[in-house]
Amino acid sequence: MSAVIAADGLGKRYRRKWALTDCTLSVPAGHVVGLVGPNGAGKTTLLSLATGLLAPDAGTIEVLGGRPAAGPAQLARVGFLAQDAPVYAGLSVADHLKLGARLNPGWDTGLARGRVDRLDLDPGQKAGTLSGGQRAQLALTLAVAKRPELLILDEPVASLDPLARREFLQDLMEAVAEQELSVVLSSHLVADLERVCDYLIVLVASRVRVAGPVDELLAVHHLLSGPRRDPATLPDGLEVISASHTDVQTTLLVRTSGPVLDPAWTVSEVALEDLVLAYMSQAAGRRRRDNRRHLEVQK
Amino acid sequence: MIWLTWRQFRVQALTAAAALAAFAILLAVTGPHLASLYAASKITGCHGFACGNAANAFFGQLAGLDTVVYLLGIGLILAAPAIIGIFWGAPLIAREFEARTFNLAWTQGVTRTQWLAVKLALTCLAAMAVTEALSLIYVWWANPISKAIGVSVGGPQLFSQGVFSSVSFASHGITPLGYAAFAFTLATAVGVLTRRVLPAMAITLAIFAAVQLAMPLWIRPHLTPPSHTVAGIFAADLAYGSLTADVVPGHPDAWILSSQALNPAGQPVTSIPAACSSVSYPGQKGGASALTPAQCMQSHGYREAISYLPTSRYWPLQWTETGIFLALAVALAGFCFWWLGRRRI
Repeated sequence: MSAVIAADGLGKRYRRKWALTDCTLSVPAGHVVGLVGPNGAGKTTLLSLATGLLAPDAGTIEVLGGRPAAGPAQLARVGFLAQDAPVYAGLSVADHLKLGARLNPGWDTGLARGRVDRLDLDPGQKAGTLSGGQRAQLALTLAVAKRPELLILDEPVASLDPLARREFLQDLMEAVAEQELSVVLSSHLVADLERVCDYLIVLVASRVRVAGPVDELLAVHHLLSGPRRDPATLPDGLEVISASHTDVQTTLLVRTSGPVLDPAWTVSEVALEDLVLAYMSQAAGRRRRDNRRHLEVQK
Repeated sequence: MIWLTWRQFRVQALTAAAALAAFAILLAVTGPHLASLYAASKITGCHGFACGNAANAFFGQLAGLDTVVYLLGIGLILAAPAIIGIFWGAPLIAREFEARTFNLAWTQGVTRTQWLAVKLALTCLAAMAVTEALSLIYVWWANPISKAIGVSVGGPQLFSQGVFSSVSFASHGITPLGYAAFAFTLATAVGVLTRRVLPAMAITLAIFAAVQLAMPLWIRPHLTPPSHTVAGIFAADLAYGSLTADVVPGHPDAWILSSQALNPAGQPVTSIPAACSSVSYPGQKGGASALTPAQCMQSHGYREAISYLPTSRYWPLQWTETGIFLALAVALAGFCFWWLGRRRI
């Protein structure tokens, strides 16, 4: 499995504040990869580095085996849809298609026209007067019709209403199915990703907390509930991701490759959203503990 | 890329073309009248004092409209680089940052360097072309007035702008090319730094105005080595009680950079010597002498040392000044490439 994005010790600094530090990750080819993490996790920075809009301050990043934005050929291989789908307000829909055709050697005119027709976009309409959903569709058309090998979408649906969101994702999936391209899309909402992604990377504070194919992740994570007990007494091979206790009951989210045999536990499947949230709060808890320890040392 | 540049630029381009056309029409309408006035005047083929009189008569015949156009034209040529700079240069990159469309532009199959090169080059050439076109049309229109100024002596203040005067020098010849390129690239570079269009406009305007002031006051006089001469004290503006020269004998259109009255021993003097300060003008009642101060000083052996630029230095100076601004423009463009190439957004 080759990597479409391979980052090693990647870091990016804005003035003196690091937006991304020591990020090492590998995004496999042939998947629709969801990059999920809380706000400020460094998702946008990571994707901007992958598109070559930014240059790293530390570490390296390779996209499709090359340096991002190294030249016209590399640029042509990567399609990018930025956050809030920026388009030229003064240019019409048709102008945008012409822009794509003029600037991209692999431009697929038929694909672009077909999409615009199917999406009911008026070619003469100024992009500034499009609705948020239409604008996102237009920007996606630009990104897809250049026939990239890798499509990167940064929070593509964050600003869309639920209906537009569903339409956009559906449309995206159709485009992906037709073109067999690798896709990376970021979101802080798992629900959006669940519908379209078959691979998930959870990024918290620049670190990959968990990564893997969605069905595999769901297969190795279980929700255990049973009488209250100390998670430390669990057998080896069970990694506790999160634990919650009431007076009498303990609920655990665990990761294990084998089956859970202890009859004291009721084993149930875990929802992707709960899984992601567990990893996010685990990271947050670790950070809180670190801070507390730090404070105690200071005292 | 050329298409995109044109598509994003065409409204500004057409606005400028319309303004240029309006200006050209105004000059084309008033030009023939001016030319016929000049032809009817006795300036052509005049000799000596007759020239000054003919020129003054010509100035007297100019209609109010001619005067307005004369001043408006110079003002327009001087302001054009700034106007073009702030409306074309400032938004060139800053607008992409404001609307976040750089995300779109820089992820197409064209490198950022190519993108910037085409945008900068085409728009800058357009800025230079428009400004120089304004200047050329104006020079054609104002030719009769310029010729009249060339022969006039003590004409009206309004028409006393010699070729070296600060407003005339920067609006004639090839200097408009340099100013246009400089103002445009300055605005673009400032826009790259501020990433906001309005602040970039304001900062550009302030810097460009300062440069336009500093150039004739402090820089232009030192761009080319001056000629020196020691003339009779008559060269000094003594009629107004001043010891600075107002004319270089034999070089009526020369630019006087500095002048100094010298006593017979060759030492500088700063005021009219006592021996001549009490003299008065011919015909003045109670005058102690029939000599003017100038005649008095001349008879005492005072002279005037002048350093000046003769008109033969006009074109070398034009090239030097234009070259400086073009070099600055290249440096500012280079800065834009370097700054955007760092890929920090």
